[in-house]
Amino acid sequence: MERLLAVWVPVLGDESPDGSTLRTYLTLLDALVVLCPFTEPVRLGLYALPVRGPSRFFGGEAAVLDAAATTVHDVTGLESRLGVADGLFCAELAARRAVVVPRGATDAFRRAQSLDVLGRKDLATTCRRLGLHTVGAFADLDAARVAERFDGHALHLHQVARGEASELSGQRDARLPARLAHLRGETVVLGEQRGFFGQRGAGDDRAEAAAHRVRRRLGADAIVVASLHGGRGPEDRATLVPWGSPEALRDDAPWPGQLRAPLPATTLAHPVAVELRGADGKAVRVSARGLLSATPVVAVLSRTRREVVWFAGPWPIVERWWAAARRRAHLQVVLDTGQAALLVAESGRWWLTGIYD
Amino acid sequence: MAGVVGSGYSYEQVFALAPRPTLPDDLVATLRPVTLATGRRLALGAPWDALVPAGALRRGSTISVQAPPGWGGLSVALSLVSEASARGHWVGVVGVDGPGVVAIADLGLDLRRVLFVPRPRGAWAEVAADLLDGVDLLVLRPPSRASLLAARRLTDRARERSTVLVVLGEARGSWPLPTDLTFLVTGARWHASSRLDERHLNVRVTGRGAAQRGADHVVVLPDGQGRAAAG
Repeated sequence: MERLLAVWVPVLGDESPDGSTLRTYLTLLDALVVLCPFTEPVRLGLYALPVRGPSRFFGGEAAVLDAAATTVHDVTGLESRLGVADGLFCAELAARRAVVVPRGATDAFRRAQSLDVLGRKDLATTCRRLGLHTVGAFADLDAARVAERFDGHALHLHQVARGEASELSGQRDARLPARLAHLRGETVVLGEQRGFFGQRGAGDDRAEAAAHRVRRRLGADAIVVASLHGGRGPEDRATLVPWGSPEALRDDAPWPGQLRAPLPATTLAHPVAVELRGADGKAVRVSARGLLSATPVVAVLSRTRREVVWFAGPWPIVERWWAAARRRAHLQVVLDTGQAALLVAESGRWWLTGIYD
Repeated sequence: MAGVVGSGYSYEQVFALAPRPTLPDDLVATLRPVTLATGRRLALGAPWDALVPAGALRRGSTISVQAPPGWGGLSVALSLVSEASARGHWVGVVGVDGPGVVAIADLGLDLRRVLFVPRPRGAWAEVAADLLDGVDLLVLRPPSRASLLAARRLTDRARERSTVLVVLGEARGSWPLPTDLTFLVTGARWHASSRLDERHLNVRVTGRGAAQRGADHVVVLPDGQGRAAAG
């Protein structure tokens, strides 16, 4: 678990309807980012920053604490409480008590807490009746016993109590980053040129604000970005991840047997089953040697018959033959409508995986 | 010289009276006229730059791409925005379910600045309006025939925000408003050897003003590298 410094500004925890709280929170966030670029907005009133890097830079944890307290005071004039511990859950508890938990003592610190810190009344009451008063006593229960008596959320709390999860599920405000970016997007002067050699420009901020609006409208997974990585078929080489999730690693290793351009402009996320038939009406299959059992003449896709006027392949791929082998074969077909499609044979069936649109 | 201003002259008169300096030719060649954001153009790659007036996309304009299903309409639309994307502009793609990411990267788009909304469900017009605020080019495939009201709103928003709106449709009339440029795919032929090599598209480009006369062109899309080329 990462050693975190939690900065708790109690006044900023209560949001005022005129939005001044959010603005102050954002101002302070920008000031703390100067201190440590990995400062995270956890929720209104609470920030967390990894303490290891800054303490080497400032010369010790005490110096970081001083710098953070001075920053809060200089920027907002508000009172703050600081705490250092491993993991967000314990770091916040430490901040509420304004203590620095020494290295290696986080476990004992967490176990000594009263059960109320988990924030669930029914669980605390029941455990108390059983004679369990501390987080440590609750953590010592068998997970199966907890699951029998309580729901999934209690299991999550049990993980936090045991130190298997570093933070409570409700500890972060998931909407806060979006709101802060929205606030930033509104104040950005359009057309202002800030970008330089790989830095962020005004256009990036504008796009980010727009993406936030779409996300608020349709939900977190509606707006996606794409990244490329290694793989043989076009369907393996791309991932679409929700916008805002951490960037995937690029893989530029060579992939022998990779299907070459041109590749289909539409790749089906969920391939659709297709029937390929030969002149005799029998289904066309790929043999173990990677050959077609007959020349495909007709393709049937959800009861629509199309003539196959041309085909190329199959190009068999056997992947992970040393473990769970995955055998596939790609086939390019051109239909009588002028459309071209990429089919793949896997587990005895043909699937439509790409359309050259 | 302070007396010049004090005695009734204004700087405008001083400038008007002074002879205009003659600039050296090599300097003149490097000067650019002052253009505002609305008049600015976005770069268009080969071979499209030869097919449209001024060889670029005008910011705030609406472009329609019409092709029967599977005849390369999506490739045409994405290829039109690829050069601008490669030069650092943001692209939004709304309503294209299951985008072929590798093919899109092959076309020359910079995936770091492409936002996809594959399934906007019923809110495609709202999502498109949201993204028009933030991106420089938007590729939009409406799920069905767009209503006149939605089309007008999006066209106005694109003009207001100086964004290029590329509307992808399967048939004439899927976008109820006239557009600044129309790319109509009238034919698609695959050239193949031992595998698919390239596709030759017949594209008719029509538009307003200078591009009013429609002209037919052959464009290779995708070619052996997955890019667009002149036929």
